[in-house]
Amino acid sequence: MAGRQFMAILRKDLIRELRTREMLVSMFLFVMLALVIFHYAFGVDTDADLTYFTGGMLWVTFIFSALLGLNRSFAQEKDEQCLDGLLLCPVDRVTIFFAKTSGNLVFLLIIQAVSVPVFTLFFIERSYLADLGLFVLVLLLADLGICTLGTLLATISMSTRARDLLLPIVFLPLIVPVLIAATSATTAIFADGADLGGLAARLGFLAAFDAVFMIAAYGTYDFAIGE
Amino acid sequence: MDAPVRDVSEGSPLEVEVDGLRKTFGRREVLRGLSFGVERGGFLVMFGPNGAGKTTTLRVLATLLTPGKGSVRVAGHDVREDPMPVRRAVGLISHSPMLYLDLTAQENLRFYADMYGLEDREERITELLERLELTHRRYDVVRTFSKGMRQRLAIARAILHRPRVLLLDEPHSGLDPRAVDILDGLLGEIREEHTFVMVTHHIQKGLELATRLMIVDGGKIVWEHAAGVAPDTFNAVYREHVQDGSAL
Amino acid sequence: MVKKLTSAPALFAAAGAFLVTGLLLAFLYAPIDVSSMGFSQKIFYYHAPIAETALVAFGIAFVAAILYLRDPDPKWDRLGYVSVRLGLLFSLLVMATGMIWGKAAWDAWWAWEPRLTTFLIVCFLYAAYFVLRQVVEEESRRATFAAVFAIVAFIDVPITFFATRYMPEGLHPVVITAGDTGMEGSMFLSFMISMAGMTLLLAALVRSEVAAERLKDEIDDLKIRIGG
Repeated sequence: MAGRQFMAILRKDLIRELRTREMLVSMFLFVMLALVIFHYAFGVDTDADLTYFTGGMLWVTFIFSALLGLNRSFAQEKDEQCLDGLLLCPVDRVTIFFAKTSGNLVFLLIIQAVSVPVFTLFFIERSYLADLGLFVLVLLLADLGICTLGTLLATISMSTRARDLLLPIVFLPLIVPVLIAATSATTAIFADGADLGGLAARLGFLAAFDAVFMIAAYGTYDFAIGE
Repeated sequence: MDAPVRDVSEGSPLEVEVDGLRKTFGRREVLRGLSFGVERGGFLVMFGPNGAGKTTTLRVLATLLTPGKGSVRVAGHDVREDPMPVRRAVGLISHSPMLYLDLTAQENLRFYADMYGLEDREERITELLERLELTHRRYDVVRTFSKGMRQRLAIARAILHRPRVLLLDEPHSGLDPRAVDILDGLLGEIREEHTFVMVTHHIQKGLELATRLMIVDGGKIVWEHAAGVAPDTFNAVYREHVQDGSAL
Repeated sequence: MVKKLTSAPALFAAAGAFLVTGLLLAFLYAPIDVSSMGFSQKIFYYHAPIAETALVAFGIAFVAAILYLRDPDPKWDRLGYVSVRLGLLFSLLVMATGMIWGKAAWDAWWAWEPRLTTFLIVCFLYAAYFVLRQVVEEESRRATFAAVFAIVAFIDVPITFFATRYMPEGLHPVVITAGDTGMEGSMFLSFMISMAGMTLLLAALVRSEVAAERLKDEIDDLKIRIGG
C-alpha cells in the first residue's frame, strides 16, 4: 500500500513537472547563467587556470539551483490547498517525505545531466572520463543529502509566512558539510584525477551524512508537515 | 449546552461522537467544549457566523487538525489515536477543490484512487465521471475547467473511496445553478449510504437536507434541534442566539 | 535544599567564584606557555570553555526539542529558546576570543581553521533558528518547527566540525587529544576551573532567563484574558 502511494505521489509530481516544466526550466536557466557569470567573475584572462575552482563553482551552482526546485516542490501543494487533500488520505507522512525527496532528486539529476556536459565544455581541460563513474557517485550521494535535508526544511518553510525566503536561511548552514565534501571530491576528480583514498573518505562521509539525516527526517517529518 | 447529545433512536450507532472538544490556536481558544453526536445515516447541518469554529470542527473530524482537549470519534475510531481508519472513512468537500490544476481529471482521480488503495480504480472513476457529467472532460487538464466543473470533480474526489462520513464545508458557495442541481441530485442519491456533517450559510438548503440542526457561535453550540423547523422560526432563533453578545 | 542550591542567585555566585578563581589561577599560577604564544595564550582559558559551554547550550536545546515533540509543554519550548539564545551569544564570544587569539598568535584576525569556521557556521545556523521563529505566527506550530530545527541543527554541528577539520587542512593547535591533555598540571587545573565556572554561568543564565520568559508568557496570557 505504501509502495503504491509512494509511486502515486512521485508519478503525480513527475507528470506535473514534465507537463509544465516550470521548475526544470528555471533551474536550468539559472545554472547556465551562473556558468557565464563565473567566466566573467574569474577574469576574462584566458590564461587563468580555473581548474582548482571547478568543484566549488559546480556545487555552488547546484545548491542554489536545488533551492529553486525545493521551493517549487511544495509551493503548488500549498497554493492549491492540495496539501490538505494529501493529508486527508490514509498515508503515512513519512511516505510523503520519501516520495517528495525522490521527486526532487530526479529533477536535480535531470538538471545535472544537462549542465555537467556544458560545464565541462566551458571549464574543464582535462578529460575525466576515466573517473566518470566516481564522479556520478559523488553527484548521487551529495544530491541525496541535499534533497533529504532540503525536502524536510522546505516542508517547514512552506508553512511559514516567509515561504521561499526562509528556505535558504535554514538550509545553507546545514548543508555546508556536503558542500565541503562534494567540492573537494569534485575538484580532485577534475584537476588531478581521483585519489582513491581521499575520495573514498569523502564518499563515506557523504553516505554517512545522508544516512544520519534520513533518519532524522524520518523521526521528525510528522511534525514538519500537517496541522 | 455542553451536555453530550445522544440521539434518541436506539440501535442507530453514532458515526460521529464529539465530547468536550476544545481547540486553541496559540492563545486563541477557537473551540470551547463542543459536544454532539451524529447517528449513522444522519445529516447534521451547522450554522453560525464566520469565525464561530465550524470549519475548525470539520477539520478536526477530517483529522486535518488534532483536537486540543476532549474526545472525537468518527466511524468508531478516535481521531487522535487512530487517524488512519478515520481518513479511510471520511471525505471532505470544502471551498477549495483540492485538485491538481495541471493534471487531467483522470490523472487527479487516479492519484487519489491510488492513495486510498482502491481496488476497482478505473471502473469507479468512469462511474463517477458519468454521474457528475464530466466524462467528456476526462482527459482535459483541470486548469481548463470552470469553477462549477472543478467543484463537481472535487465531489468525485471526495466520494471516490466510498467514505462513510461526508464532511461538507459550504459546498454550494460559488456554484453555478447547473452545478448546484448536480450537487443536490448527487446528495439525494447518496443520502442513504452516508452520514453527513455540513457547514453552510444557505439556510434553505440546510433546513431541507438536515436531520439535525445546530448553531455554533464563539466556539460553542448555542442551539440545537431536530429537523423540521420552519425557515421563519429558524431565522428568529438564529437572530436570537447569535445577535446576543453573551453567547460565548 | 536542592532548590536553594540550584536557584539562579546561588548558581551565579558559584559561577562567579569559579570564574574569578580560574582567572586568578590563569594569570598568577599557570606558567606562561613557553612553547608558542607567550602571555596571550592565556585567552585559551576562556576561549575553549566558552566554546564548550556554547555546545552544551545547544545540547540542552536539542534535548528540550525532543522533549517538546513528545509532550508539547511550553516549558520545553522556553528552555530550548533560551538555550539557543545563550548558545548563540556564547558562540559569538568564541569567535571574538578566537579572533583575538589568532591575532596574537599568528598575527591574523581570521584564519580558515576548523574551530573558527565551525563556529561561524554555527552562528549562522542558530541565527536561522530565530528567523524561523519569527516567521511562524501560531505558537504551537512555532515551537514544533523550532524543535525540529534545533534537533537537525545540533546533529549537524559535529558533522560540520568533522568536515572542516578533516577535509581541508587546519592550523588550530589540537589541545585535548585522547589520553594526553597537552597541558601540564597547573595549566590543566586552571583550565578545568574556568570550564566549571563557565558551565555554572550557563546554568545560572538558563535558569534566570527561563524564569523571565515564563513570566513574560504569563503576562501575555493575562493581557489576553483581560482584553479578550
